[in-house]
Amino acid sequence: MQPIFRYTHLDTPIHRLHPWVKMAYVLFTLVLVMYPVKEGDMSILLIWLGFSAMMWAVARIELRRFTMLLRILIGTFIFLILIQGFTYRGGNTPLIVLGHLKLWEADLGVITKEGVWFGLVLCVRILVATSSLPLFVMTTPTSAIMTAMGKLHVPQTATFMFVSALSFTTLIFEMWGSIVDAQKLRAFDIDSMNFVKRAVKAYIPIITPLILLLFRKANDFQIAMETKGFGAPIVPTEIETLTARPVDYLWLAFIVGLFVLCTVLKFA
Amino acid sequence: MAKDVAISLQDVTFTYEGDVVALRNLNLTAHKGEFVVVLGANGAGKSTLCYLLSGIVPHIYGGRRRGHVSAAGLDPWDEPLYVTSQHCGVLMQDPEVQLFMPTLKAELAFGPANLGMPRHEIIRRSQAALALVRLEGLEEHNPRDLSGGQKQRAALAAVLTMNPRVLVLDEPTSQLDPLGRWEVVEAIERLKQKGDLTIVMTTHETEEILRLADQILVLEQGETVLQGTPSEVFTQAARLEKVGVKTPALILAQSKLCKREASSPGEQQVTFTIPEVAGQIHESIEASRLVVRPDALPRPQRAALDAPVILEARHLTVEYPGPPRVVALRDVDVQIRRGEFVGIVGQNGSGKSTLVKCFVGLLRPKKGEILFKGESIRKLSVGDMARRVGLVLQNPDYQLFTASCQDEIRFGLRNVGVPPEEMEQRVEEALCLVGLSEEADLFPFRLSFGDRRKLAVAATMALNPQVLIMDEPTTAQDHHGRYQLAELAKRFHEEKQGTVLMITHDVDLIARYAHRLIVLREGQVLLDGPTAEVFTQADELKKSFIVPPVAVQLAAELAPLGVPAHVMTMEDLYQVLVPQRDGGEVV
Repeated sequence: MQPIFRYTHLDTPIHRLHPWVKMAYVLFTLVLVMYPVKEGDMSILLIWLGFSAMMWAVARIELRRFTMLLRILIGTFIFLILIQGFTYRGGNTPLIVLGHLKLWEADLGVITKEGVWFGLVLCVRILVATSSLPLFVMTTPTSAIMTAMGKLHVPQTATFMFVSALSFTTLIFEMWGSIVDAQKLRAFDIDSMNFVKRAVKAYIPIITPLILLLFRKANDFQIAMETKGFGAPIVPTEIETLTARPVDYLWLAFIVGLFVLCTVLKFA
Repeated sequence: MAKDVAISLQDVTFTYEGDVVALRNLNLTAHKGEFVVVLGANGAGKSTLCYLLSGIVPHIYGGRRRGHVSAAGLDPWDEPLYVTSQHCGVLMQDPEVQLFMPTLKAELAFGPANLGMPRHEIIRRSQAALALVRLEGLEEHNPRDLSGGQKQRAALAAVLTMNPRVLVLDEPTSQLDPLGRWEVVEAIERLKQKGDLTIVMTTHETEEILRLADQILVLEQGETVLQGTPSEVFTQAARLEKVGVKTPALILAQSKLCKREASSPGEQQVTFTIPEVAGQIHESIEASRLVVRPDALPRPQRAALDAPVILEARHLTVEYPGPPRVVALRDVDVQIRRGEFVGIVGQNGSGKSTLVKCFVGLLRPKKGEILFKGESIRKLSVGDMARRVGLVLQNPDYQLFTASCQDEIRFGLRNVGVPPEEMEQRVEEALCLVGLSEEADLFPFRLSFGDRRKLAVAATMALNPQVLIMDEPTTAQDHHGRYQLAELAKRFHEEKQGTVLMITHDVDLIARYAHRLIVLREGQVLLDGPTAEVFTQADELKKSFIVPPVAVQLAAELAPLGVPAHVMTMEDLYQVLVPQRDGGEVV
């Protein structure tokens, strides 16, 4: 299974897009999800999510990578829906009544329809936020990211911290799988535990070796990079030549237009 | 001549922070084009020497140095690392951590681009490096998708694009399968033939470097114990054995069985072929210096064919969805009987790990079935399986997380619900078994790698499995330490009548311990039978890049003289070929 942040070498319109256009898409996505959220924001978020889904489809990213993202987030989604269901202050249509425990304006014993809906809005908001960056890094080679960020005068160290973090995610996925297997061999089966048990006790035997191993690997990475001149006080050569084509401007115009539309709908 | 000096170390002592002396009074001179091999047991100071030459010390690892160091005309302590790295390149053991770009092309360009080289020069260097390591045509591939040998060659090419004059290779083949090792050694050989690069290589594989080395440096606890040409060093087998360095098997056989004394050690030949040594043994036998005693070697113990089947794979097919989709096992049928000691060999990707993951229930095959004592394991959890079949992984660091060695063993026992009083007894027994009783309260990460592997074995054994599977028990071990885990498996086999499966690339290990050998190739069983019989099928083994042990090859050459086919190890050969005194008395 390929890790979610790994670049996929394909030739699609999204892969060919200028990195700046894709960076603009990530930026606008983040701005959109930063707007104060309301119950009625679902349609705006769904418009942007639909656009993101279209980009994923055009980029021919396998569905399994998206489902992997969903699997990572599913626990958070359940938590948000339940918490909002019980505690949303604007909730007045009971869905499930377990009892009554008034705390300020909320009745903590009742799951309300409005609360569940608001929880769903938050889930979609998270999904919108988390689907843009993977699309960017899965369709843009690291060297192009570095060149694009260099042209934006982002310091090389910051750029490389970003791209090496991406390399590390691949490694973390591989190590995570190996550690889970190693602990299963000692009858510690994290997959068969329920959500609560996992959250309470399951992660220590997984995360402790992961952190210790990452420290070690980070050291090796540092050696590999610095012995190849990384950090030299020299202006690095740009390997990728990035040129903007008319189609890039069209995509950019579309993204800006969609963002403006969503903003207008949000504040209208 | 002095102007050709590429490496010069004069009376160098290096101490890491924390007062650990890693190198003492070291002297080394290497000229342009020379190939220096550094040998020694784990902890001898080989890697520190690599770090010292390439500038990793002091720029990444700190410490104190005494004496003079010069590599490619620079003192690494006086120059920043990006300057040193343009003169002295370093390739490390693990290719995974040296490759971080999404394509091979970008990987090769990374170094020279950091140095601000013009684009055309970067392209020229990349193409030259790719041609040298024979990876042309793979420029657009993700380095992580390459095979082990290709990855290490890609990492080597990335170092070469820095255009160094000195190349430091720190155990570059230690994590590769036989094919990968052959590929990397071939690439290194081509670099040597170019003649303009001075190469320093550390290794435990002495056979590998015999035809490459111009100078050999043997270290023990940071000090030089032997230094000279291969013939000067390898003719001192006893000394090498003492410091944990393996003398190449053919040299050892030649010196023990043929007894041809040269006037001085340096004049002795050290590069032999199997037919050459077999010819010399033949001469010794004809001259009555050696006697063949075929009966001196007992026939190997054969696992009882009527013993019940304990583990079985039936029509096992496993596919990984990818992309690319990989069929790891194709309709595999294997039966393991109780009390067998089975070796499993094959190239990386041949399906060995997939097969054992199915055996322990980590992988649930969609096609075919795994049976334990005749019953499907489909309904058993991984925890249930852990009590039946124990798997010791190659890297113990994937499992260690507690504050002490005994807690590490308790963890598994608690998971399977062992009562507290029995638990303490089992912890004690397991630690005693692997010789770590004294370290019971120690933080596991403070143990050496070899001891951490022993702790992983103890944690597995404490669960009282009936089958023990070991994955590459010789990885990262030196000559003396390489059989420690296999010996534990042997004790489990003999004392508890346990069943053992051992995945390895080490044919000497197989020859020494396994009664039965399974060879996997492209997800199918290529060969399966008694070890001695399988090793006689050299042509079939070649398909998997497996070469039988030297002793087996010599025995095959000497078969017409009565040397039996069940000779597996050099010790077996010495039992069969016995020196004879002048009077005809057998020594």
